[in-house]
Amino acid sequence: MLRLININRRLGDFVLSDINLEVSDGQYYVLLGRSGSGKTQLLELIAGLEHPDTGKIFLDDIEITRQRIQDRKVGIVFQDFAVFPHMTVFGNIAYPLRARKENKKSIADKVEKAATAMNIRHILERSTEKLSGGELQRVALARTLITSPRLLLLDEPLSSLDTSLKDDLKRLLRNLNKEGQTIIHVTHDYGDAISLAKRVGVIHNGKIIQEGSVNEVFNNPSNRFVARYAGIRNFFKVDISREDGLFVGVTEHKVIFKLNGITPTRNNLLLIKSDSIIISNEMPADIELNAFKGKVTEITPSEFGMEVIIDAGDLFYTNILTSEMGKLRLIEGKEVWVSFPSKAIVVINGN
Amino acid sequence: MRRNSIFTWIVMILSSLVLLFIIAPLAGMFIHTGATQFIETVKDKEVHQSVWLTLWVSFTATFIFSVGAIPFAWLLARKKFPAKNFVQGIIDLPIVLPHTAAGIALLGFISRDGFLGKLASFAGFDLVNHPSGIALAMAFVSLPFLINAARDGFAAVPERLEKAALNLGAGYTKVFFTISLPLAWRSITTGFVMMFARGMSEFGAVVIIAYHPMIAPVLIYERFSSYGLNYARPASVFFILVALLFLIALRLLSFKRKVKYINNDAETY
Repeated sequence: MLRLININRRLGDFVLSDINLEVSDGQYYVLLGRSGSGKTQLLELIAGLEHPDTGKIFLDDIEITRQRIQDRKVGIVFQDFAVFPHMTVFGNIAYPLRARKENKKSIADKVEKAATAMNIRHILERSTEKLSGGELQRVALARTLITSPRLLLLDEPLSSLDTSLKDDLKRLLRNLNKEGQTIIHVTHDYGDAISLAKRVGVIHNGKIIQEGSVNEVFNNPSNRFVARYAGIRNFFKVDISREDGLFVGVTEHKVIFKLNGITPTRNNLLLIKSDSIIISNEMPADIELNAFKGKVTEITPSEFGMEVIIDAGDLFYTNILTSEMGKLRLIEGKEVWVSFPSKAIVVINGN
Repeated sequence: MRRNSIFTWIVMILSSLVLLFIIAPLAGMFIHTGATQFIETVKDKEVHQSVWLTLWVSFTATFIFSVGAIPFAWLLARKKFPAKNFVQGIIDLPIVLPHTAAGIALLGFISRDGFLGKLASFAGFDLVNHPSGIALAMAFVSLPFLINAARDGFAAVPERLEKAALNLGAGYTKVFFTISLPLAWRSITTGFVMMFARGMSEFGAVVIIAYHPMIAPVLIYERFSSYGLNYARPASVFFILVALLFLIALRLLSFKRKVKYINNDAETY
């Protein structure tokens, strides 16, 4: 198990502050953050390439905060792979074994096994200078995994791969994790996070602002930044008041949200997932629903169908299937109803 | 487009003039050296000895000093330490010093009264008028070329590769010899060749330390001052040709070594 306790590190104007993190054995932990958020710096602290100003790092209950890089049993695969350009693929994968002064036979056997597992056995004798991004990635992974690290750190491993290679590598990483390899994976990509992570941490401006399982984090984002990461675009700043014993939120454009079953705190930002919003030509019969009449202002193709933007005083972003489009006969300028239950509303910190 | 074209012409003319300035005196020297004179010089034992002495002393000086200069260059490229700029300035000092002044400074250090001179006396020889003294004089003025080139070479090696090697379990020495040094090798070789060439052509500092045994630049000067230009010219041409051959051979050798290194790695197993 990896434990980071109150880690602080200043790097010029940037500060990693008060980082507390626990990653249990066999975990696939994704650290999600934009570029410049401090995720790579945090990885380098764990690997020992940098040292924290204050705080402690424990691996298997042994403090490794000041331990030498080469003694940590933590393997890191860099975003740019850091494959040695003056060596062949074989030379790269064999490097850690040669550093340990293993005998030639043992090195040859282990390299072949690692290369076979990574599907790069056919390029063992090649110079690394002519390899593709996917091949370099596998060489770097094989080279690190051959050291049998207790903890595998991956810095944006999927960022430079095309879609098909991405899928292959994701499968490979999932299998590695299934075999028991503990992985910390940093990425800026929400898609990578939800497809790989068992636990996820969101890092912003050098702080981990939310942590939990994928469902916990993205179904209940603690603030607007995390919600934006989850692709949520329906944010509404409201004034909350009580009418006939029920809470309601009123936007500056006088759109009134019914907050049935919700006990708002002092926070005043409502968010609604696009998928929770239903579009209909007629007013919905269920009076419990939040329902607003509006005009379709924009229809654009999206990953899974169409994104439809409806102006009902405030803008509502919805996703619908292309087949639904035909049924509803949606065109820009048409008047429609948007509706959603109160339970689809999440109240988050507006600051 | 036309403006660019005129600009390009002006640059080309200026470049040609500079190139001509370098080539013309050398070409003149070659043209004015008669074949008979040249053959006589080639057969001259004194010239042979002097050219050979120049080559091996300069090479030995470069080789021995590279043992300390290359790690020093790595230190300058990788580590931060107090007064680093000052240290860098000291390294460049021999380049700006008048070389006779460098010779005088060194003479105080290696003469029998000097620190190094006393040490040599204990070992039973005198550094002044000795090949080892010549080697020190050559190294003194030419070391910056090796240190600076090697430092730039190390600085150009991505630090990430060294960190990756450490992360893979290699110690600092292993990382230096398997990552930093091979990747900076081209710059180090260039520095090595530059130091060797600069040491070989040194006159000012060497002549203060050792008039005898006579290295080629001193021999050329002696022939010029004693017998005149016509007598000094064939020796100069011979020395330049031998030095050129040696430099080309060194360059080719270093290139081949690099290629071999990559292949070897694949063929080891």
